[in-house]
Amino acid sequence: MPHLEISDLITVTDPLSGARLPVRRGDVVRLLQESGDPRAARIVAGLPAGRDDVLDPLAVDRLMIGVHTEMQRLSEELRIGERLVHVLGPLFEAIREIAGRRGRFRLVDIGSGLGYLVRWLAATGALGPNVELIGVDLDAALVAEADRLARAEGLDCRFVHGNAFDLPEIATVYVSTGVLHHFRGPALTEFFEAQADSQALAFCHFDIAATRLAPVGAWMFHRARMRHPLGRHDGVVSALRAHTDDTLLRAATVPGIRPLLYEPRGLSNPFCTTLRPVLGIRPYLEDPLRLAMGRASRRLVGAEQLSRPGAAR
Amino acid sequence: MNPVLPLLALGLLDAAFSGFRAYAGRDARIRKHRAVVRAALRGLAVGAVLLLAPALTAGAVLLAADDPDRAYGVLADGGVGFLVPLGLYALAVAVSLLAYFALPFRASTLAMVVGLGPLTLARPLFVAVACAGALVAGGGWTSLLVGAVAGAAVLCVEPFVHRRWYAMPL
Repeated sequence: MPHLEISDLITVTDPLSGARLPVRRGDVVRLLQESGDPRAARIVAGLPAGRDDVLDPLAVDRLMIGVHTEMQRLSEELRIGERLVHVLGPLFEAIREIAGRRGRFRLVDIGSGLGYLVRWLAATGALGPNVELIGVDLDAALVAEADRLARAEGLDCRFVHGNAFDLPEIATVYVSTGVLHHFRGPALTEFFEAQADSQALAFCHFDIAATRLAPVGAWMFHRARMRHPLGRHDGVVSALRAHTDDTLLRAATVPGIRPLLYEPRGLSNPFCTTLRPVLGIRPYLEDPLRLAMGRASRRLVGAEQLSRPGAAR
Repeated sequence: MNPVLPLLALGLLDAAFSGFRAYAGRDARIRKHRAVVRAALRGLAVGAVLLLAPALTAGAVLLAADDPDRAYGVLADGGVGFLVPLGLYALAVAVSLLAYFALPFRASTLAMVVGLGPLTLARPLFVAVACAGALVAGGGWTSLLVGAVAGAAVLCVEPFVHRRWYAMPL
């Protein structure tokens, strides 16, 4: 049975036009029941809908903003910002080394939601002043809220509603947090291919580490920290859907890109590594990146290290 | 040992943390130290009022007792039994918090995953264990009554503050 996240089903956007599509509550409930998840079906059955059984878009938007606000709390507690900078800092150092110190760079956060990462980077200035920060998401309500939050605090970043690969500007680095497990099968490879085909120099996507502890930890953590049942449900399903190290490296193996995994299962304490990134860099960036990372570069491995007998798995 | 002051201190500290938890996850801004302090103070204020309930219950027990001195002794014994599990719980929280704030991000995650998260979930359980501790320590039904009222009071702080001030995202 496939694991389905409620939030994927109740907000459907046309990827080409960005337009919000109506979602019938009964259809979602039936889909969840057929996937063997009666609890999720009950949560959706309790959401408000109009006479035509279409989910109330305003209520769904409020719910999504509420759940994402609580999710931000988890990111804060797990110090996601610091985790990212631990990798992105050396990555931008390597890029500056190659491209020249006086360059202007652009980080694009794909599926930015409420834009916590982008706003945190803007508030801390962790990547330096010459990195433009853009968050992109297909959910218009989340983008509007991210923009409101950024403006309320006077942060130097911006948010765009739409497809991250259709931006008029060239991204230097694409990043994301908690997005990869939403792509299944060929869509995962297509996601990486789109970035390899762009003019970006690198990508760095953080997602839940697929360990045996992940679903248990996710249950405990979401139970302790989140109030709405939708957030609790989707938090555990996300951990169940997390991609293995092998799957990520295989999918990220696309022409023009050197795929690397930071802190794979065998090299890290599963209690400490809740999220870890898969990176894709232009091959000429690997040496400067390893140099910039110093001793931490030991945790950066390619498929050849993972497939070696007795290596990190 | 008179357990009143340590119990009061623990109760008020717990109320301040409850205020924080009631607020946490409701404010997506990045810089929010003042809002955190305000939420903790709200929890503290609500906790101070709600903790009058066990104090009044204890007072009523003493007023109704034939032998107030003996009744006070029994309550004190029960209070010590109530304090021990809560003291251990507070110690575990303090160690986890120290680890969370002092250690690098990887190790601080460990403090969160194996410490603070489960301890938050186990809070009502520790209150129940404390009530049992009051009985085991020879506090009788009067200590159990006061302990149960105190436990209910501290457990009510978070939902009250949440509904009063943080029902919707800020």
